[in-house]
Amino acid sequence: MTSVVRNQWYVAAYGREVGRDLFSRTVCGESILFWRTRGGLVTAMSDRCVHRRFPLSEPPSHLDGDTVVCGYHGFTYGADGVCVAVPGQTRIPRTARLKAYPVVEQDSFVWVFIGDPDRAAGTPIPRAPWLDLPGWTAVSGMEPLAARASLLVDNLMDLSHETYLHGGYIGTPEVAETPITTEVDEEAGIVRVSRRMADAACPPFYAKSTGITGRITRWQDIEFTPPCLYRLHSRIAPAGVLPNADGTDPDAFHVEVVYAITPETESSTHDFWAVARDFALDDEAVSDFLRESNRTVVLQDVAALNVLERVLTGEPDGYQELSINIDTGGLAARRMIARLSAAL
Amino acid sequence: MSRLTRVGWLPGADRLSGRCHCGAQTEADDPVLLWDWLSAHPAHPTRAAAPPEPTPPPPHLVTDPALIRRRATAPA
Repeated sequence: MTSVVRNQWYVAAYGREVGRDLFSRTVCGESILFWRTRGGLVTAMSDRCVHRRFPLSEPPSHLDGDTVVCGYHGFTYGADGVCVAVPGQTRIPRTARLKAYPVVEQDSFVWVFIGDPDRAAGTPIPRAPWLDLPGWTAVSGMEPLAARASLLVDNLMDLSHETYLHGGYIGTPEVAETPITTEVDEEAGIVRVSRRMADAACPPFYAKSTGITGRITRWQDIEFTPPCLYRLHSRIAPAGVLPNADGTDPDAFHVEVVYAITPETESSTHDFWAVARDFALDDEAVSDFLRESNRTVVLQDVAALNVLERVLTGEPDGYQELSINIDTGGLAARRMIARLSAAL
Repeated sequence: MSRLTRVGWLPGADRLSGRCHCGAQTEADDPVLLWDWLSAHPAHPTRAAAPPEPTPPPPHLVTDPALIRRRATAPA
């Protein structure tokens, strides 16, 4: 049984990764070719020539205007994946077409729809507007994870692990000590986990980027839209400083931490991460610090989850897990993902 | 009608409090059992089931030790 939820939008790349060079990425077990037309539109189609399955992303395959030419025998495909030329004959077999994927470029991401293309238009794409919004500055990256996507979902839905796995970066004792509230919004398809620390130590990640030297009020409000998009609304302010009654919040620092959890295969995952902030917008030193720090944190998760994947793979199924209060959000996410799978 | 289900952590205690979107509420010590209770909507049991009595922990079986031996060491 597959663990990948189909008929869903997934992040396949950052827009900056797709240009006039042929680009390939495997999403949910499907090898997909991406390129940008001369007009700037992103295309997505199967990365295998229908003739002898040569990868179209592999040199000497190449773009010729708004067509891609297979480097093995010259089969040529348009931006819609339909073959427009074959070698040595004028008749083009009707079946000479690549699977084309619905694709949308939004919030700095390239989203592809995995499943029945007719269901794409009716399936909403979750938003992360801060990644491409005036008044915000974002840094981002992607780390390959040699582990199933569900392990990363578990990891991100329970941030108490920050205290232990990410001490010295984003973890402080208060994270693991502070109770959470969990909400499941079935209509919106969102799991929310909120952890609000009234008086906490400021971890280096925020102390060095904001300049706050004392203790802080730290809010972590997670919104996860299964199966792919995770948003952590992080609010940092000097201890005791709260938003105004009218909702304005001029004395706090806001960081939007976004993850796109895209299965590559059943046992590997593209771990897209981004950090957007509403302060020090033009300060390159802050951007460099947040980029390096968050990448370090992500790699700490990657190292731990890669080990966990190997252990799980080398052991029989059926072990009983033990879940405690901190797992409430992760359990809710698993249930929502299971419902999405069952609804197919 | 809102379809919002909420689980809170009772102040000063380790117990969880759950409220279904229909308004039904319960408490539990175990999030798995609490989600089971909430997911049973509209047929919520009288109360969340009690956790099972503990049994002696099983041995941890390994089917492919080579996989585990090859695991990388997490960077310092």
